[in-house]
Amino acid sequence: MSDLHNQEMRAVYAATLNELIEANPNVVCLEADLSKASGTNPAVLEAHPDHFVNAGVAEANMIGIGAGLAIEGKIPFCATFSCFASRRVYDQIYLSVAYAGMNVKIVATSPGITQGPNGGTHMDFQDLAAMRVMPNLHVYSPCDVYELRAMMRHMATNVQPTYMQLVRPKVTPLFDDSYTFDPEKAVRVREGGDVTLVSTGYMTSFALETAEALAADGVSVELLHYPSIKPFDASALIASARKTGGVVTVENQSIIGGLGGAVCEVLSEGLPTPVKRLGIPDQFGEVATEEYLFDKHGFGPAHIAAACREMAAAK
Amino acid sequence: MSDMFNREEADRMAAEWRYIITDMICQAGSGHIGGALSLVEVMHTLYFRSMHVDPDNPADPTRDRLVLSKGHAAPVLYVALAYKGFFPANLLGTMNADGTTLPSHADARTVPGIDATTGSLGQGLSVACGMATAAKMGGGEHHIFCIIGDGETNEGQNWEAGMFAAHNDLDNLVAITDYNKLQIDGFTDDVLSLEPLADKWRAFGWEVFEMDGHDWDDINCTIEKAKAVEGKPAMILAHTIKGKGCCKVENTAGSHNIKVPDQEAYDGFMGALDVQDVTLPY
Repeated sequence: MSDLHNQEMRAVYAATLNELIEANPNVVCLEADLSKASGTNPAVLEAHPDHFVNAGVAEANMIGIGAGLAIEGKIPFCATFSCFASRRVYDQIYLSVAYAGMNVKIVATSPGITQGPNGGTHMDFQDLAAMRVMPNLHVYSPCDVYELRAMMRHMATNVQPTYMQLVRPKVTPLFDDSYTFDPEKAVRVREGGDVTLVSTGYMTSFALETAEALAADGVSVELLHYPSIKPFDASALIASARKTGGVVTVENQSIIGGLGGAVCEVLSEGLPTPVKRLGIPDQFGEVATEEYLFDKHGFGPAHIAAACREMAAAK
Repeated sequence: MSDMFNREEADRMAAEWRYIITDMICQAGSGHIGGALSLVEVMHTLYFRSMHVDPDNPADPTRDRLVLSKGHAAPVLYVALAYKGFFPANLLGTMNADGTTLPSHADARTVPGIDATTGSLGQGLSVACGMATAAKMGGGEHHIFCIIGDGETNEGQNWEAGMFAAHNDLDNLVAITDYNKLQIDGFTDDVLSLEPLADKWRAFGWEVFEMDGHDWDDINCTIEKAKAVEGKPAMILAHTIKGKGCCKVENTAGSHNIKVPDQEAYDGFMGALDVQDVTLPY
């Protein structure tokens, strides 16, 4: 088992950033006074102080500085909470990064309900939807440490404005050291024939756990994990939907416009198929435990299982 | 470069630029004339006296950079770049035409010689901070110039960048405020007062200069002094006249963006220019 296996996601973010800086001195770590939360302080700050820039509590300025660094050939990784990385700096990302074509990597930590005790003021359920409608911006959400590392290596070696969600604590690993990342490809985590379950980021480990439990009950779930929401692998979805005839989506986001929205767009034009979207309905977050929020909004393992059973039975 | 300066030639070129800028905007049917005309002498000095740039090698890593944060003043930048030789001057007549490479706001994607894409106010000084930081990391000796508007200074992001530049001793950064005292809705003093603007930038840790933004010697001397500042960024408040040289709009808020719906309006704006005997390059 790899050293990565039991590490926090943010520890792997920082360790990978150090690896990338050592491989290419143009890589730069940018923070906005949340470097301890991102895991880069002290790990990157002490290892590479000359590659560490702290903008203070000034996210808009951080994105602009990132764009300026990118103009000069640097590869800035700009991290802050997802609520600030998306909605607070939307125009800065739009103009100075995506429109201008700048090779800036925006790292959105603590997405969705993983913001936990910071509650509704900080919970961001909209960023996958908001960011994926921006032209020239890739949008990623890794599900484990191996995928995170592979994704960051890809980001550092490909000139492409990118927004990546980053869950900070430990998550259950799905993959291993052999994992490779391709933004054009969904990952078929599990093969099945009764229903297609589509997930991304934080929810994929819950989706796999649910799919395995359902197999014991005789429901065969095909699990497609989307590390990239944009670009979106339409052909994998259509092929799976053609086989199963029904799709359930689950995400740590609003059910409007994000992964579920992308799935509905593809299927409505490519292969009209019944879809059930799980996630947060059109509501704000609140201070609460994960279990409470799963139950309140209906997107935890029990709800995923019920939706998959219902979809499989309805065919 | 400065020892080759010829005041008569510069005066003549400034008049030509104002004529061409006004015609470009009138031909396009509308445009931001006031903040372009106010910057003519500053832009001319930057590209013909202060900045080291090479039109044959727009990406020269040793070049000085300019971020025109008030991207709506792009027409004056386009004219400067064309006169400097970055692209053929006959392209100037295509501004805002369908499929143009010269859009109303400064666009580094399509225009040779432009260092940063701008248009949404308040972002350019941050971008310039990033470019200055990169130079500090890489040991570049060049300067990064950034022109912001006075109305644009209302945007809080400028002050985030202001704190950052001073905190990080970005003495390779020279910012210039086009202080024409007017913004879209009226005089800056009436809309959102900036004063005491020099004191504000000083309080933020910048070395501050003031100059007459239409006086060749004052502009050149002040920029040279600002480039020589060590240990902190420099801000130059360029006192200018919005719409300068076109008496129909000079020193009016209406000059921010003019509409030119017909020949009569066109004749009115063009006829209001100080100099008339200019041959358009397109």
